[in-house]
Amino acid sequence: MDTFSLKIMACDRVFFDGESRMLVFPVYDGEMAIMAHHEQMTTTIEVGEIRFQLPDNTWQNAIVSDGILKVEKNEVHLLVYSAERPEEIDAFRAQAALERAKEQLQQKQSIREYHVSSASLARAMARLRGVNKESIN
Amino acid sequence: MAGTKEIQSRIRSIQDTMKITKAMYMMSSMKLRKAKQKLEDTEPYFYGLSEEIASILYHFPDMQHLYFDNRAKDQKELVKKKGIIIITGDKGMAGAYNHNIIKEASALCDGAEDKKLFVVGEVGRSYFLNQGYPVDKDFHFSTNNPSIHRARVMTEYIVDLYNNEQLDEVYVVYTHMINSMKSEVEVEQLMPLKTHEFLKHEMKEHEKQGQSDSDISEAEDWFLIYPSPKKVLEKLVYNYVTGFLYGVLVEGAASEENARMQAMQAATNNAEEMLKELSIEYNRVRQAAITQEITEVIGGAKALKKKKSKRGET
Repeated sequence: MDTFSLKIMACDRVFFDGESRMLVFPVYDGEMAIMAHHEQMTTTIEVGEIRFQLPDNTWQNAIVSDGILKVEKNEVHLLVYSAERPEEIDAFRAQAALERAKEQLQQKQSIREYHVSSASLARAMARLRGVNKESIN
Repeated sequence: MAGTKEIQSRIRSIQDTMKITKAMYMMSSMKLRKAKQKLEDTEPYFYGLSEEIASILYHFPDMQHLYFDNRAKDQKELVKKKGIIIITGDKGMAGAYNHNIIKEASALCDGAEDKKLFVVGEVGRSYFLNQGYPVDKDFHFSTNNPSIHRARVMTEYIVDLYNNEQLDEVYVVYTHMINSMKSEVEVEQLMPLKTHEFLKHEMKEHEKQGQSDSDISEAEDWFLIYPSPKKVLEKLVYNYVTGFLYGVLVEGAASEENARMQAMQAATNNAEEMLKELSIEYNRVRQAAITQEITEVIGGAKALKKKKSKRGET
């Protein structure tokens, strides 16, 4: 199976830089997968979990925040605010963030505050989902 | 000439001040290292984002959007409502760092008719409030230890005002760190995105690529944007503004620590020089006192001797 070069850039580090066989990521209406020699494309990516297959057939998971994905000449660039491996996530912190966001959403807020708290709620939920999956496996 | 006691107490007080400046130097050099690391880490993300915007613009040059400066409506308006984001430090004692930014920012503000200031950092905030500039009081952030979360909240605030057309143009005044010795205050237009600038940048890139491999086929220029250019662009603008603000915050923090480090280094050097001079002066004064005492004793002894010999004669 052919591979493509994948580069995942978070704002505080380059999370992954190497070859991959397939990348699965969340988009606004579901999930999308990219394999080698995909056509040139730009799309947005939602908060959630991405999976990518390495050349030795193992799968890797990561929890990402929202961002942009670009495919060009068999190169995939993924630009996100943050990318974390499931084992890096602090479940207690994510849980605390989830509760804080929920509490804030119950209060009367401006549209702006609503955007911020619903985004942090989505991130906290994605993180917790990633951690829980890890502990089950 | 001052007495030994006075000089000694002076020396002690300078030594105490030097302890403080030395400690501040150590702290800011540590913080500077951290901030520099952060700046390096965020660079690939930031450059990736600006490339991305450029390539979308290149493929859709005739797109008119709220975030671009080519709308017919914008060109009709004569007075632009300007928003100015100013990045200053939270604390003083950083040499000319805060002063330079305030000077540049107030020059920019005085040239604008309809403006609103968004000041980050306590020093600039208190200055602009005292001077009676229209500062947005709800926009309250610290520059210490920048995080992506803070940049995100700031973006939400600014983009919301922009979307409601309470602001037409947004500028950022920040300190750009050229190298560890030199930094410069810069003014950058954040919104609307300047189409020309991005296009020019992209053209250059294309030319370079064309020279290296001229066999890029027409088919590769086909460009799919999913779900739609507008949706992608909206997201991209949020990400770009957040990324930019984050970068600016990190750079500001790095230059602040750098300026503080240099100021404290200079202060420590000055203190050392003063101590050197004072210790020489102290020794001189002490020596003079001893000499005087000796002359007094000798003089006294001589006088006694004279008296004795006079008595012997008579």
